[in-house]
Amino acid sequence: MTDAAQETTAIVVPEQPEVVVRIENLSKSFDGRLVLDDVHLTVHHSKIVAIIGQSGGGKTTLLRCVNLLERPDNATMEVAGETIFAGDRVTIRNLAKLRQSVGMVFQRFNLFPHLTAVENVMLAQLKAGVSEEDALDRAVKLLRRVGLAHRGVAYPEQMSGGEQQRVAIARALALRPSVLLFDEPTSSLDPESTSEVLRVMRELADDGMTMILVTHELPFARDVADWVVFVDGGRIVEEGKPADVLGKPREPRTKAFLASYAASH
Amino acid sequence: MLPKLFEVPWSDYAPALLDGLQRTVSYTLASFLGAAVLGLAVALLRLSKHRIMRLPAAAYTEIFKNIPLLAIIFVTYFGLASVGLRLGVFEAGCVSLIVFYAAYLSEIFRAAIAGVHGGQQEAAEALGLGRVSTFAQVILPQALRSALPGTNTMFVDLLKSTSLLVTISAAELMSEGRIITSATFRALEVYLVIAAIYFALCYPLSQGLLWLERRIRAGIPLSPKRRRRLRAARALLAEKGAPV
Ligand SMILES: Nc1ncnc2c1ncn2[C@@H]1O[C@H](COP(=O)(O)OP(=O)(O)OP(=O)(O)O)[C@@H](O)[C@H]1O
Ligand SMILES: [Mg+2]
Repeated sequence: MTDAAQETTAIVVPEQPEVVVRIENLSKSFDGRLVLDDVHLTVHHSKIVAIIGQSGGGKTTLLRCVNLLERPDNATMEVAGETIFAGDRVTIRNLAKLRQSVGMVFQRFNLFPHLTAVENVMLAQLKAGVSEEDALDRAVKLLRRVGLAHRGVAYPEQMSGGEQQRVAIARALALRPSVLLFDEPTSSLDPESTSEVLRVMRELADDGMTMILVTHELPFARDVADWVVFVDGGRIVEEGKPADVLGKPREPRTKAFLASYAASH
Repeated sequence: MLPKLFEVPWSDYAPALLDGLQRTVSYTLASFLGAAVLGLAVALLRLSKHRIMRLPAAAYTEIFKNIPLLAIIFVTYFGLASVGLRLGVFEAGCVSLIVFYAAYLSEIFRAAIAGVHGGQQEAAEALGLGRVSTFAQVILPQALRSALPGTNTMFVDLLKSTSLLVTISAAELMSEGRIITSATFRALEVYLVIAAIYFALCYPLSQGLLWLERRIRAGIPLSPKRRRRLRAARALLAEKGAPV
């Protein structure tokens, strides 16, 4: 690999602060109903945090607070060295900049259906002021990275779910984010597509990408995560090393969740 | 009987017909453009979070959808003139067509915009696109695709409706037809020819729009900029890249 190629495809941005995401006292309610209650979470550089838990527990909401797609009622939040939220208000002036430093991958891919794969990866770059040539160059490199160079000019509807999700990962990486958020990235995929996507995610992990991952793929979480957080009823019930939380849970609710997981898999 | 059907000296009337044709096209283009812009604005108002913006827009749509176009034309041209607001024939004609068709187009646009999946807005926001970029680059292009069939139907319908402007002597095709009829007393022949001209306009137009719809649906890029971009992408993707 040439130096130039290495430079442009490297995702680990140097001179990252040690703590990439710091969340303190996060609470959030919808229509007066508390769905996140005093949540604390710290994600260090190059670490992978897996969030697990029952449906409706608040996992998605927690993830969406990190890039302020959802606005907390109350919190202190720091992302990539900047305080983005304090008390009950947004403190970051440039919301676009925050969104650029936080990549997000959705359960339903949410690729732009009117654009080809390569254009999906280019769009945000062009809007962020990257030149046409550089944006294309990076998009092509990222598509190669996720193994989809041959599908670059295909439209989302012409691709399998696994291919779409890999394009979505390339799109999320386009602006060299400091952290990637995944919200059940394989939940709408068949087993084969799931393993394609997990393979790409594992490579990102090996490259030192910082990630927060909401998942029901417990074996995968056990394998790649550095830290596992079990969320239930809007609270962090238990957290720790994967082997501990998933292997020898202490809390009854964690045990119950893992037992029901084991029963259904 | 049949040999006698064509007795009007058409070559004498060709310049007048051409003139009428030109005017029909002008009415159509100006009114459609106006109706599309107004229709989009009304659609956006109807999708607003605020009731005070939604209500007038909804009222507008309901009113103009439930009044005959002819009544709108008469109110705009004769009615307003009677209270001192005298519009020219062209202005009155265009205004009538615009307010009438904007009501229909706003319904089509509203449904199309509302039909774009919520995840699209979310994905665009998560990528740091601003409100304007999100709408212009993500929502609108998808909405236009689904609005295209209905919009195209309205376009052809609007062209045909310009013939109602004969009632205010708008000098478009139908008005020319009426003038030729009164000069020649050959109503059947004249109006058959006029009808044929409308057909010759509308049929290729609707076929052309269908063709456009199919191309867009097939994902063929229309703008030269996108074509260049995809050509460059193809070339780059075909290269054997460095292993990563
Ligand atoms: N926009 C919203 N408006 C109102 N309530 C909401 C909204 N979004 C989420 N909720 C509620 O907040 C709670 C937490 O939802 P959330 O989607 O974060 O859960 P989750 O853990 O991601 O669940 P799942 O595993 O099903 O995705 C749920 O009770 C949900 O109904
Ligand atoms: Mg969820």
